[in-house]
Amino acid sequence: MFSFIARRAGAAIGTLFLSSVLVFLAVQALPGDVATQVLGRDATPDAVSALREKLKLDQPAWERYVDWIGGALHGDFGLSLVSGKAVGGEVGLYLGNSALIALVTVLFAVTGSIVLGILAGLYRDRWPDHLISTVSLVGMSVPEFVVATVLVLCFSVALPWFPAVVLYGPEASVGQLMPAVWLPALALAVVMAAYIVRMARTSVIDVMASEYVTTARLKGLSTWRVVTRHALPSALLPTLHVIALNVAWLAGGVAVVENVFNYPGIGKLMLASVQNRDLPVIQAIALISAVVYVVCNLAADLGAMALNPKLRTRGRTR
Amino acid sequence: MPDIHHPGRRSVLAAATAGAASLGASWLLTGCTGASAAPVLPTDAKGGSPDRGGTLRIARPPASDAETLDPASALSAYEYLGALYNRLVRVGANGDLVPDLAESWEPDAKARTWTFRLRAGVTFHNGRTLTSADAAYTLRHILDKATASPQAAVLAPLIDPGKLRTPDARTLVVPLKTPNAEFPSLLTHYNCYVIPDGSAGGIGRTGIGTGPFKLESFMPAGPGRITAYEDHWGGRPVLDAIDFYSVADMSARSNALLAGQVDLLSQTNLDFATARVVAASDRATIARVENAQWYVLPMLTTEKPFTDVRVRQAMKLAYDPEHVVKVALQGAGTAGWDNPVPPSDPAHITAHPKHDPEQARHLLKKAGHEGLTLDLYTSSYDPVFTPMALAYQDSAKRAGIRIRVKTASADSYYTQIWMKKPLMATYWYTGRPVDQLFTQVFRSGSSYNETAWSDKAFDALLDRARQETDDERRRELYGEAQTFVVEKGGAMTPMFADRLVGLSRKVRGYAEHGFEFDYLGIGLRGA
Repeated sequence: MFSFIARRAGAAIGTLFLSSVLVFLAVQALPGDVATQVLGRDATPDAVSALREKLKLDQPAWERYVDWIGGALHGDFGLSLVSGKAVGGEVGLYLGNSALIALVTVLFAVTGSIVLGILAGLYRDRWPDHLISTVSLVGMSVPEFVVATVLVLCFSVALPWFPAVVLYGPEASVGQLMPAVWLPALALAVVMAAYIVRMARTSVIDVMASEYVTTARLKGLSTWRVVTRHALPSALLPTLHVIALNVAWLAGGVAVVENVFNYPGIGKLMLASVQNRDLPVIQAIALISAVVYVVCNLAADLGAMALNPKLRTRGRTR
Repeated sequence: MPDIHHPGRRSVLAAATAGAASLGASWLLTGCTGASAAPVLPTDAKGGSPDRGGTLRIARPPASDAETLDPASALSAYEYLGALYNRLVRVGANGDLVPDLAESWEPDAKARTWTFRLRAGVTFHNGRTLTSADAAYTLRHILDKATASPQAAVLAPLIDPGKLRTPDARTLVVPLKTPNAEFPSLLTHYNCYVIPDGSAGGIGRTGIGTGPFKLESFMPAGPGRITAYEDHWGGRPVLDAIDFYSVADMSARSNALLAGQVDLLSQTNLDFATARVVAASDRATIARVENAQWYVLPMLTTEKPFTDVRVRQAMKLAYDPEHVVKVALQGAGTAGWDNPVPPSDPAHITAHPKHDPEQARHLLKKAGHEGLTLDLYTSSYDPVFTPMALAYQDSAKRAGIRIRVKTASADSYYTQIWMKKPLMATYWYTGRPVDQLFTQVFRSGSSYNETAWSDKAFDALLDRARQETDDERRRELYGEAQTFVVEKGGAMTPMFADRLVGLSRKVRGYAEHGFEFDYLGIGLRGA
């Protein structure tokens, strides 16, 4: 078991290293000369060459990579080219706001969709299944900005229950942001839940058809008990990975929804930074997203191991 | 980014994200409100008199995280400037110069030295009285290399900062390096707002000016608040306060308006689909700023085949601007006929060659470019670019010109495409006095000369015009300059478009033209 964890952790670190290299290379490959894009069209040649020097663009790429990754390991992501503030603090501020949405989304999406998925699985091919499956298919197919726009139309314009956009900046307090969190979270939850519902449904159907559930039923256990004690843990297992991937997607993939709601989160910061070619900020966000991705996957793997005795012992029996 | 595209640089933020998103959103919204496909845009801005008091909420696209309140800066938070500051002179509704802080101005006989007489009893928000030293300091601040003001390039060839004179507290004397009868018009630029003497270090945060509003709070790319300045020389504004919010995404801005969270979308040209949705809402409506945007298809005169003036003429004769106005603007604008001086400008002349595809074909044949095929670049930077390109493509077909429309990325459009690709779409704001327009965009070697056109005879004509002190004669010379540009220049100007501004139905006294916005008169009904 220990070696299994060590192997997984090692793979995670390797993945992180690789993604840091890819992030660095991808940012270098952004179209448009960095210095002119940052300074705008009024830039004088002097200013451009001074900025190139400041960004160390005259140095070889690998040297710049080592500089950057060395700083990042110490939590130093450099200074923003646009605001001149420390990247770490700025990214942290926006990340905190996004975490608020992510938390609400995960609560909505994960609990709601697991319950719906199980219901659909248990009522396979009957009307609750048809309804849930159809709705989740629609949720999966419609892009999040459409879901977001429909929600704004219904709950901000037609029924003025929630604000349509956030008018505060990134320094807004949790209390100020709270009323504006629900619609973005719901939009993300709809898109995200669809996958979890499908996965949970399939797992429940598989498990309920398995021999040990049949055995448990034959022993005379109630359906409720069979489902909660025997079927659920096994059904959740494959669902865990889908949940982990979706949580990771939340961290990086909320850009569109945050822009529709003008929500001061990491997605909005990322978009603005790409447009301004604010390299240190883009690199920091990309690296942090990679960390979240890897950590979520690692957590899913370890969680799966905890739920599945076979996986737990595989290291020994092989 | 240059001043000319100043408000445009904001729409880039919106454009990139909104691109797909707003398309979907507008489609959805149109579907939901059941608006018909026919344009039903109101033609009048909300007039009528507002109630005194109230707070106006304005959503604006932020310039950048490095925004500042220093008017001279390329990164100024433009929407605040007209409320916080005044200039010496400004542009009136009919295009003529009218007094702002200067109550009068006059040149010497040769238009070589200009004397400005300042208004009495004007105070800054910190209580200090305005003097000519402040006006002189403002000019020096713009010319200071450390400020890196976009307007410096325009003023530096004319003014030696060391030679400015202030004989008394209300008189500013500006000796010019070369005679210029149109000099005051250069000071109408929004980089030229007057700031207090010695304030360069802090003006970007304090925003202390002589304008109708004073600053309460400001955060770069974030929210801010300004309140009525009771002692404003022109009287107190109607409103008690204005709240500014920065919303980068275009569809987010219109959602905020539709949901009643804001009252006005500042400096935003709505696309037609969104505009129709806004106009159909019972909370919001559309105001039009007539001919506010000047659309151009620049041909780089240094690139083949545009080095040949016959090809440039053929490109212009080949298409019908009326068709482009109809298709790209759904009629909300005026045909330009390749003359960049807007119809609302007093100097505008109406003479222009007719649309003539046969003549265009003939010219191309003579130039050896029969069956010309060209790439025309556009992007989602502005909602009108691509429809304009497609309308041109369609219209020019009759002259045997084949256009391939290429869409480039919006966020690097003005660094990678503009002034680099031989043929592309772009726009400017109108409201620039005629001498400034020709000097900045058409004179040999000027920094915004987007067609790289260089014609000694044209430059000489401009020099003659700006030195001519007889107003009637000068107007004639600027008329000749327009004919020159239409016949030989590299810029195709298909049209002037109305800007579609979204505002709440409560807003009264809204008035905007060129770069001028009436902060004094705007207010709310039922405030």
